Amino acid sequence: MTPLPASITEDDLHAHVDGLLPPARAAEVETWLATHPDKAAEIALWQRQNEALNALFPPANDEPVPDRLKPRQLALRSRGVTLGWPQLAAAAVVILAIGTGAGWALREFDRPSESAGLIASAVTAHALYVNENRHAVEVAAADRDHLVSWLSNRVARPITPPDLAPEGFELVGGRLLPGDYDAEASGPAAQLMYQNAANDRVTVYITAALPDAKAAYEFASRDNLDAFYWSNDLITCTVVGNLPEDEMKAVAKKIYTQLTWRPDAART
Amino acid sequence: MDFLDEIETCVPALRRYARALTRNVDRADDLVQDCLERAIRKRGLFRPTGPLQAWLFRILVNLWRNSLRSERRRGEHVAYDALVIEPSIPAPQHGRLALGEMNRALDKLPDDQRETLLLVVLEGVSYEEAAAILGIPIGTVMSRLSRARATLRALTGTGDEPRLRTVK
Repeated sequence: MTPLPASITEDDLHAHVDGLLPPARAAEVETWLATHPDKAAEIALWQRQNEALNALFPPANDEPVPDRLKPRQLALRSRGVTLGWPQLAAAAVVILAIGTGAGWALREFDRPSESAGLIASAVTAHALYVNENRHAVEVAAADRDHLVSWLSNRVARPITPPDLAPEGFELVGGRLLPGDYDAEASGPAAQLMYQNAANDRVTVYITAALPDAKAAYEFASRDNLDAFYWSNDLITCTVVGNLPEDEMKAVAKKIYTQLTWRPDAART
Repeated sequence: MDFLDEIETCVPALRRYARALTRNVDRADDLVQDCLERAIRKRGLFRPTGPLQAWLFRILVNLWRNSLRSERRRGEHVAYDALVIEPSIPAPQHGRLALGEMNRALDKLPDDQRETLLLVVLEGVSYEEAAAILGIPIGTVMSRLSRARATLRALTGTGDEPRLRTVK
């Protein structure tokens, strides 16, 4: 007869069944159980309970994971509601009336939320700076070379301010802004500001492309501000303003054409 | 490893536990989705101290408790038509507890005992980890475990001969 170990506790028995005891201790428990058939029967039952639970709820490791449980997709989708400006983001998402009103190259209708955060950021930045006079921009258009190289470096994309002179708009300058706070992949944003003779202002908010690098087109409207958003494999761009609809479309189209133009279609 | 990739590796374990808690595949995935969304939203504000998986389980458990509470307030019931008894589950063999019986018994366990037992048995976490995930002292983990096993024993019998099931 083996002498009983000093202290086999109820906790030890549970840990034994759950495989949580170190081998030496487990051996002691086994030895003790050999002389305690009542307890041995009880923990044999616990073991069967464990087996039954494991059979009822088998591991899900081999099952395909639906898209809605893929963290990367969720991260993209959740951007719009993580800005800390829920009402703004909600407005941007809800009011994304895509297509009919914006007849320029609007193609995809079902992916509003990836871009909602960026659109919200662009609209907020526009509203924040558009009424500034002396501080509307960080670097003025007079210092254009510096503006271009600085923003291009920080956004890590070649950013050439579109020429909107035919539409009556001149570049005021630009500034660097945080991108969507929750979209780490999009990095910082460049905001370019334009102004016409009537002192109407339009801003262009540019970030590096989202991880999916897919083409997308959206139109959002909030209060008096319209936002045209598009993305391609290089950048995302949101044009924000409160011009009459036709003028806004013409400006947005011009910006789109210039920013997506590529020599030999080969720039990477 | 990137934060999102790291989360992704935890998804199967979260789904398994969620299915055991909810006993409904769709509801389980809803719960996991809520959990993941919350984790992704919080990542900038909160650096989880322990292992990421424990943090995710903690979020999942809290969401589940909240949903149980609000459900009780509304007096709703879960439809049992959609029980997670997958067709692929092997029929009970000699010496095993009948799964249907176990499933019904599990349903009668108090919530706190069920969440504790399932966490330990299905996910293989240590009692310390279980205590951290559930936000309770380790002594409470042990007493819940003990009561859960005793309750299941009372509900499913002792596993002695009358309880043996033959293969269908």
